[in-house]
Amino acid sequence: MSAVDYSHEISVVEGKPALRELDDLIIKPLETKPNKNFLIALSITLGMLGFFVIGLGLTFYYGIGMWGNNNPVGWAFDIVNFVFWVGIGHAGTLISAILFLFRQKWRTGIARFAEGMTIFAVMTAALFPLIHIGRFWLPLYLMPYPNQHSLWVNFTSPLLWDVFAVSTYFTVSLIFWYVGLIPDFAILREKTENKIKKTIYSIFSLGWRFSNRHWQHYEMVYLILAGFATPLVLSVHTIVSFDFAVSILPGWHTTIFPPYFVAGAVFSGFAMVQNVLIIVRKIFHYEHIITLDTLEKMNKIMLLTGSLVGYAYGMEFFIAWYSGNPIEQFTFINRAFGPYAWAYWIMLTCNVVSPQLFWFKKIRRSIPIMFIVAVFVNVGMWFERFVIVVTSLANDFLPSSWAYYKPTYVDFMILIGSFGFFFTFILLFTKALPVVSMAEVKAVVDGAQPSHHDH
Amino acid sequence: MSSETKIEYQKKEFSPKVKSVGLALLIFGIVLVIAGYFVSPARMTFNNIIGFTFLISIVIGSLFFVSIEYLAGAVWSTPFRRIAEFLTYGVYVLPFILIPILLNLHDVFHWTHPEVVNSDKILKEKAPYLNVNFFLIRILGFLLIWILFQRFITKNSEKQDFSKEQSLTTKNIKISAIFIPLFAITITFTAIDFLMSLEPHWFSTIFGVYYFSGTILASLATITIAVIYLNEHGYLVKGLSSDHYYSLGALMFAFTNFWAYIAFSQFLLIWYANLPEETFWFLQRWEGSWIAYSIGLIIIRFVIPYFGLLTQPSKMDPKRLKIMSIWILFAHFYDLYFLVMPNYSRSGVVFSWFELGFPMLIIGALILIFNELSKRKNLVAIGDPKLKRGIDFRL
Amino acid sequence: MSDKILYGYSAIFDKPDDIIKAAKTVAEHGYKKYDVNTPYPIHGMNNAMKLKPSKLGYISLIVGLSGALAAILTMWWMSAVDYPIVYGGKPFFSFPAYIPVVFEVTVLSASIATVLAMLFIFFKFPNNSHPLQGTEYLKKVSSDKYGIIILADDEKYNENEVKNLFQSLNASELEPIYWDNDEINHKHKIFEPKFILFLVVVAILNSGAVYFVYNKLLFMVPFNWMMEQERQNVQQKSLIFSDGFGMRTPVEGTIARGHLPYQFYGKPDLAGEKLINPIPVSKSSLKLGQEKYDTYCSPCHDYHGTGQSRLNGQFPNPPSLHSEKLRSWSDGRIFAVITEGQNVMPSYSTQLTEDERWAVINYIRVLQRAMNAKESDIK
Repeated sequence: MSAVDYSHEISVVEGKPALRELDDLIIKPLETKPNKNFLIALSITLGMLGFFVIGLGLTFYYGIGMWGNNNPVGWAFDIVNFVFWVGIGHAGTLISAILFLFRQKWRTGIARFAEGMTIFAVMTAALFPLIHIGRFWLPLYLMPYPNQHSLWVNFTSPLLWDVFAVSTYFTVSLIFWYVGLIPDFAILREKTENKIKKTIYSIFSLGWRFSNRHWQHYEMVYLILAGFATPLVLSVHTIVSFDFAVSILPGWHTTIFPPYFVAGAVFSGFAMVQNVLIIVRKIFHYEHIITLDTLEKMNKIMLLTGSLVGYAYGMEFFIAWYSGNPIEQFTFINRAFGPYAWAYWIMLTCNVVSPQLFWFKKIRRSIPIMFIVAVFVNVGMWFERFVIVVTSLANDFLPSSWAYYKPTYVDFMILIGSFGFFFTFILLFTKALPVVSMAEVKAVVDGAQPSHHDH
Repeated sequence: MSSETKIEYQKKEFSPKVKSVGLALLIFGIVLVIAGYFVSPARMTFNNIIGFTFLISIVIGSLFFVSIEYLAGAVWSTPFRRIAEFLTYGVYVLPFILIPILLNLHDVFHWTHPEVVNSDKILKEKAPYLNVNFFLIRILGFLLIWILFQRFITKNSEKQDFSKEQSLTTKNIKISAIFIPLFAITITFTAIDFLMSLEPHWFSTIFGVYYFSGTILASLATITIAVIYLNEHGYLVKGLSSDHYYSLGALMFAFTNFWAYIAFSQFLLIWYANLPEETFWFLQRWEGSWIAYSIGLIIIRFVIPYFGLLTQPSKMDPKRLKIMSIWILFAHFYDLYFLVMPNYSRSGVVFSWFELGFPMLIIGALILIFNELSKRKNLVAIGDPKLKRGIDFRL
Repeated sequence: MSDKILYGYSAIFDKPDDIIKAAKTVAEHGYKKYDVNTPYPIHGMNNAMKLKPSKLGYISLIVGLSGALAAILTMWWMSAVDYPIVYGGKPFFSFPAYIPVVFEVTVLSASIATVLAMLFIFFKFPNNSHPLQGTEYLKKVSSDKYGIIILADDEKYNENEVKNLFQSLNASELEPIYWDNDEINHKHKIFEPKFILFLVVVAILNSGAVYFVYNKLLFMVPFNWMMEQERQNVQQKSLIFSDGFGMRTPVEGTIARGHLPYQFYGKPDLAGEKLINPIPVSKSSLKLGQEKYDTYCSPCHDYHGTGQSRLNGQFPNPPSLHSEKLRSWSDGRIFAVITEGQNVMPSYSTQLTEDERWAVINYIRVLQRAMNAKESDIK
């Protein structure tokens, strides 16, 4: 520990590799044929995707009666999964936008990948509002809004805000991602010998020619987009939390929900990014680009956000007692000791207790342990949404209608399948596009910048 | 890279004018406070709470700033971290401002009256938390925590000026890591105890975060004012550039948005759900001249700083940045007044010399602290291993 | 090669420091039309080239603010002007609830506009036929070299001078770059008949497909599930129940909501004792009582209850409702008469619901009081 030298910046990219080597290393997965491991992984995710197809098929054929949703728990796995997947996406924007604004150079190695995850996670999430209506082809009628009766939508409804928030989030993330990809497409265009590939890359690179007169505007736009994406990412999970918090249901209506949801989203997103990156850096030999220092920093952020989530749990409990409202008090006691106590304690152990291990530097730098903790965090964050949604609905104001919610096998098939959907996209992404931003990583290699400042 | 940068720091005496200004403000403030307590103890106690929470914001917020710099390994703030450290010495002023509140608890807190509590079912239920003894234990405990960590962190940092040991930085990083969770807890419960429990029936889970956002803004603004003033007069290390100012401005801009976000979340959820047990707090602030005051809060606390700090040049130009910092500091006071004073004057806003006593006292005290410390200590953490990198910092 | 038109003269450098120096020197020599190409943005290059700060921020600001304004106006017009509906007891124009949407629209419009403006207005992309495209120079600067190029149409351009300048800066490679004649002479023909035909075919196919999906496909198996629901209709045969009836008789003792059976047939006095008027006297109940009284009671009892009605003489006259006896009757006793009838008077239980009967009784009380007003009522 005492060996740390604070007077020198720790290199973001280890070993001072030559710029050309970096290009080649990052492009390699795109140029080579998929190997056996990749195909095995792909078949696993496609198998999971098969569950998705069967689950959805059953749902569409027989209707959403195949799910466990019933009175009083009318909202269950569908919205739990929706919130979970939207949350996963948040880490991507946080890494690409917020850390960019904070000038954290270590983000460069992981930003592209995290942004890609954002897009796939939001795609996965967006499926759930679509399928929960049971007749997934009918939302066609919503766009454009069929206004024969000259009736307009309810702009005060949080569900409508959700539509605006998630679609804006998806669009802006996609733009952000694409803007970051333009120089890389140009590099690929210059590198490739294959004619078809060259045409495709030329189309997507738009004719980028690395001109500094362009870089100047490009950097400005990147800054502006980061400036927009930062409040946007906050707003998205805030609005998702409004779905619950504007109601008067105890356990849902509490003012800390917006920041608490955002912290939770970043928390689970980081866990997911970290899980996938650990595998990616191993397979593609990116150990010196996605360094152990980077992973350690991610663990620190997980420790921070995990503790923030713990703070929110504590605050909710305290204020429930402090409010003097017996129904509010009951809800929280019921969460911790009622029929869903098992879910509550899983959530608490995974989300609050397990990241506390990251107080120790050894654990922060041990890849197997951090991998396991991150898996725990994902499990815990899924259960957090489950606890919030289900416990509050199952035991609400009317004791005569209380019931215990049981998910069906179709619910589980869709849950597993959503992971298959997400990971299939991730796998295809690693083979189709550079998972590390070449232009950005090159800029932070030691010696890549002029040695003195003259301004 | 860094070998070319030289640390050019010359310790300079403050001009005697500084001391006289600080002293004048302090004395005038104390006179106003004492006079206020004679004329209207209740009103003055409410003002005292504003003053107390205002000073906590500056002092403990600065301590948070310092520990975050250690934890995050930030370098841009190292050249002026000592300024924030000086501000944390205000922690010794806190007990003096606290004492008058403790002497007049009954004037401001309903829950300190046993007969009120006994006739109120809800307050009775809250009594295990809201009672005078536990209240005293809490605030004294918080003060103790703050003073302890202030001492640890500043001591290590000051020792480094001479020993230049890197291990001191490591030590401070560890101390900071312990301090951050304690900071979250102490700031939250300070907000609940001193601001939320003024209206003991009202509750909001986000309230601690609300006060936290204002706290960070106030401390950032104070640090910025001090840095700009001292740098303009050459008291700091040479080489501070517009990029450093930009970072300070960008943080203030970010937290201005964060405050708006938190305040809006709290308002929207309560407004939307429309539960009488929550809405009355906002309705109290929507009566008589409080309506104008509440709208003013949005403009003063959010709209003006937002547009004032939006563009790049406004964050880089020390003059504009200084104006905005002073404005933000004022806006924090305005915000605290919004939280506290409707409990004193339901019908409308009251403002006269009563309200001026504490701000003057606090500003005077902080100036004197600076003046005293600048004689004994370096204004720059010259032994810090990150200092060179900090001066070299460019966007 | 002389027929090729020169685009510019390029030089390649190996180190970021060199390119900064080169850019600075070129700018100091007064060249205006030159460009630096680097694989990633180099710190300090904007200053070296003396570029003015990017103006793209203003586009974001203007478009963002317009987007916000448009969102507010749209929502205001839809919810407060065109078709106002009260949602959740909130005002028609509930601004706090609009902020989320306003924010999202602001961000969306500003981000899209900024990026589009950068790519298509500032950069004039897509431009894959730029002279630099396909050159060795671009290949090198895309990877790990740093290049600078002075354009031939610069006022001060002179090939030898430029060459010497680059050489003095220690450039590692020099190369002239030419326009591609084919590309210069190539003209895009947008209004070619082939292209127009293509557009027409696409349009027809598209609209046909959309028409088919919306109007035909959604009514075919299996997409017509919503219309083909399995359920039991009234009067249908059922295979589930042994008696073969689809309709079920309710469980014995089932009572329809709001219709408690009358328990005091033949015992009007007991009814008078037990029944209590559940309808409080209010403006609306009196109004209802008056309406029903005027319709059903007044033909015999008269509008004022005197019994001297417009049917006088054609029918046995009913007694006055203002007698001492009737005034002392309880509400329940009168209710019994209306429900069962009395003497010549038939039952009115089918004409008047229970609530309406009570309302009529309330109205009768009003008539009685009006006819027998006390001194104190006048005050």
